Amino acid sequence: MLALKTAKYLVDKAVEAGDIYSAAAVYLIANIEQRVVLEGIMFGKRRDALALARWEHTPADVLNTLCLRGAGDAAVAVRLDRNQNTPEAALARLYDVELNGNASFAVLIAQHQHTPNKVLEAIAKFSDDIQSLKAVSKNPTANVRVLSLLISRMRNSKMEEVIVGNVAANPSTSDDLLATIYEKGDTRIRVVVLAHENCPLFLIESAMNNLASETTEIQRQLAKNQRLNIDALSYLSVSQDKVVRSGVATNMASSDVIIKQLLSDESHLVRRALAARADLSAASAKRLMLDKDHWVRQWLARNPKVSRKVLDKFSTDPHADVRRAVARNEHCSRRLLSVLAKDENAWVRSAVAYQKNATRCLLEALANDTDVDVLCGVANNSRTPQWILQKLITSPEADIRRAVILNRKAQRKTLLPLLEDSYYLHRLLLVSSTALKDNDKWALCDDPDFQVRFAAFQYFAKSL
Amino acid sequence: MKILVAVKQVAALDEDFEIRADGKDVEEDFLLYDLNEWDDFSLEEAMKIKESSDAEVEVVVVSVGPDRVDESLRKCLAKGADRAIRVWDDSIEGSDAITIGRILAAVAKKEAPDMVFAGVQSSDQSYASTGISTAAYLNWPHAAVVADLQYKPGANKAIIRRELEGGMLQEVEINCPAVLTIQLGINKPRYASLRGIKQAAAKPIEEVSLADIGLSAGDVGADSSMSRVRRMYIPAKGRAQMIEGTLAEQAAKIIQIINEFKGA
Repeated sequence: MLALKTAKYLVDKAVEAGDIYSAAAVYLIANIEQRVVLEGIMFGKRRDALALARWEHTPADVLNTLCLRGAGDAAVAVRLDRNQNTPEAALARLYDVELNGNASFAVLIAQHQHTPNKVLEAIAKFSDDIQSLKAVSKNPTANVRVLSLLISRMRNSKMEEVIVGNVAANPSTSDDLLATIYEKGDTRIRVVVLAHENCPLFLIESAMNNLASETTEIQRQLAKNQRLNIDALSYLSVSQDKVVRSGVATNMASSDVIIKQLLSDESHLVRRALAARADLSAASAKRLMLDKDHWVRQWLARNPKVSRKVLDKFSTDPHADVRRAVARNEHCSRRLLSVLAKDENAWVRSAVAYQKNATRCLLEALANDTDVDVLCGVANNSRTPQWILQKLITSPEADIRRAVILNRKAQRKTLLPLLEDSYYLHRLLLVSSTALKDNDKWALCDDPDFQVRFAAFQYFAKSL
Repeated sequence: MKILVAVKQVAALDEDFEIRADGKDVEEDFLLYDLNEWDDFSLEEAMKIKESSDAEVEVVVVSVGPDRVDESLRKCLAKGADRAIRVWDDSIEGSDAITIGRILAAVAKKEAPDMVFAGVQSSDQSYASTGISTAAYLNWPHAAVVADLQYKPGANKAIIRRELEGGMLQEVEINCPAVLTIQLGINKPRYASLRGIKQAAAKPIEEVSLADIGLSAGDVGADSSMSRVRRMYIPAKGRAQMIEGTLAEQAAKIIQIINEFKGA
C-alpha cells in the first residue's frame, strides 16, 4: 500500500475527502492542475478562506496563495496579517495593498516576525502611526539598519524615550547602537542595555569601575553579569540590597570566598540562589542543609552536586516538597528511591515514578498505585516494562494514556490500540510516533477530527 | 424509560466579524458552530443514568435548527445517545427562547419521556429560559442550575442539588417527570470513541416538521415570539486613552486632561 503513496495518490485522496484542512496539508506537493482543484476546496467559500487564514497551522504556501487570491477581502487580510505562518512575500504584498488603508493592519505587519526588513524599513521611514513604529522597534527580526533609522527619526520627538527603550531591549540591536543608546540613556535604559546579550564589554567595565556611584537598579543588573571581575563582585556582595546580593549568589563568576561569605546571608533569596548553584561545594551544601527556609533545602535537594549523605538527610524532611526534590535528583540512589516510593505523599511517589534511575522492580510496584500522577510517571518512564504500559493504556484517565504515548520506549504493539483512542490529541501525537509504521498511521488520514487528518496528510506529504 | 435531552448548536464568534446587512445578527461566515457546552454535561448526565441502570433507558437528543445542526446531533449519537431528532421549518427562523421551549415541549409530548434535561443556558444567547419554558408548556415541575442529581429510572421523585450564590447548594426533592437544567461541572463529559463516531455516521437523524408535532407556522417565528431582536451592534468605544511620552510629558498631559474636564 505504501508504494501507492505517491504525491498524486495523496493529493487525490485529500481531494476525495473534500476537506479544507486535508487539502491544505497536501497543497505543497500538488501539481498545477491539482492545485487548482485544491484551491477550489480551500477557498471556494469565504467561510473556509477565513478559517484557513486564521488557523495557526495553515502552511505558508497556502497562506501565500490565499493572499494572492483574497487580499482584497479585508477580513481575510487581517487574519493573514495576524497568522504567524504568513510568509515574507505575502506580508510584503499585504503591506502594498493596505498601504493607504487601516492603520491597525500596518501594526500587525510591523510586529510580524516574517515581515521583510525592506517593509519594516519603509514603515520606520514613512509611517506616522505611533503604534506601527513601536511595533517595529519591538520586532526581533528588524535589522540594525531599521532600528538605527527608527532612532534617528524619533530623535527629539515625544516618543523617543519609548522607542529607544524598545530598541535597547531588541535582541537584534548591535553593540555599537547599544553604546550610543547607553551614552544618552537614563538609568532605566542603561539597565536594559547592560542586560543585553550584545552589550559591549567597555560599557560593563565602565559601569564596574564606577560601582559606588551607580544606582541600585544598575547594580542589580551588573551583579548577574558573568563578565564582572572579582573585585566588583566582592563589592556588590556586601550591598545593602538583597536583590544585588542574590545576583552575586547566582553569578558563576563569584569566587569561593564570596560564596562562603553569602552562605550566612540574612535573606532567603540569596541562600536559595546559592543552593541552586551548579558548582556548590560539599562544605557549602553542609552549611545550607539545616536552613529553616524549605525552599533553600528544596533547591539543595534538587542540586546534582550534593552528596548522598545530604540526600539521605533530606529524604526524611518534614516538608514533602523537599522529599520530592530528593526523588527528582538525578543522583538519587536506588535505595533511597525505594524508600521514597512508599512516601505518604503522592507527589513524592510521582517523582520516583518519573525518575530515570527507578528500577523495573520499583516501577512494577508503583504501577499498583491508585494516584493519577504516580501512574503518569510509571507510564512515562522508559524503564517501565511493556506489559505494564499495555495495562496502563486501558486507563480511563487520559493523562495516563498520554504518558504512555510520550514514553520514548513504548513499542509499536503497545501503541497500536491508542490509534483508536477517543481523545483526538492522542491520535494527533501518534502521527509523529517513530515506533509506529506508516501503514499503521494511514487510517488517520480518515480520522473524524480535522486536526488529526491534517497532521496525517502532512506527515505523509513530508515523507515522500 | 426515556430521557429527552434538549441540545443546541451554538455559534462562537470569530475574533473579527461583520454584522449582517439587516443589522440583526453576525454574518454567518464569521460564526464557528459547535455543541453548546452545557448540553454536553446534560447528555453525559443522561448517559450516566442509562449506563448505571439495570432497566432499559433510552436517551433521545432533540434540537431545533437547520441542516447544519445534524453535525452536533451526530456528536451526541457518537457519545451514546440512542436517537436524534431535529425539528425545522423555515418559519421557525426568528423564534425566541420561549417559542423554542414551545417546540421542545411539543416534541416531549410526542416522545413521552420520563425526564427532560437541558443546559442551564446557551453560550451564544444566554437567555437561560429554553428549559424553563419547556417545563412551563408541559406544565411539569422544573429545577434550574442542577449541580448534582440522584435519580433512579422509573422513580417518581429525584433528589437534586441546585447551585446558588456564594457557593451554597440547595437540596431539593422534585416530582418526576420533570425538566432539569443542568449546570457545568456536574460530571466529566466523555470524548466520543472512534467506533461511536463511525456508528453515529450511519445512524439516521429523525427530521421532524411542525405538523409532526402538532404545531403550525403560526405558532412559531418572530411574529409569534414574545421578544424580537431589533438590532445587534458593537457599542462605540474611545473613552480610554493611553498617554505616551516621558514621565514629565505624561504628567503634563494628565494635568491638561483634568483641566479640560474642569473647564479650566
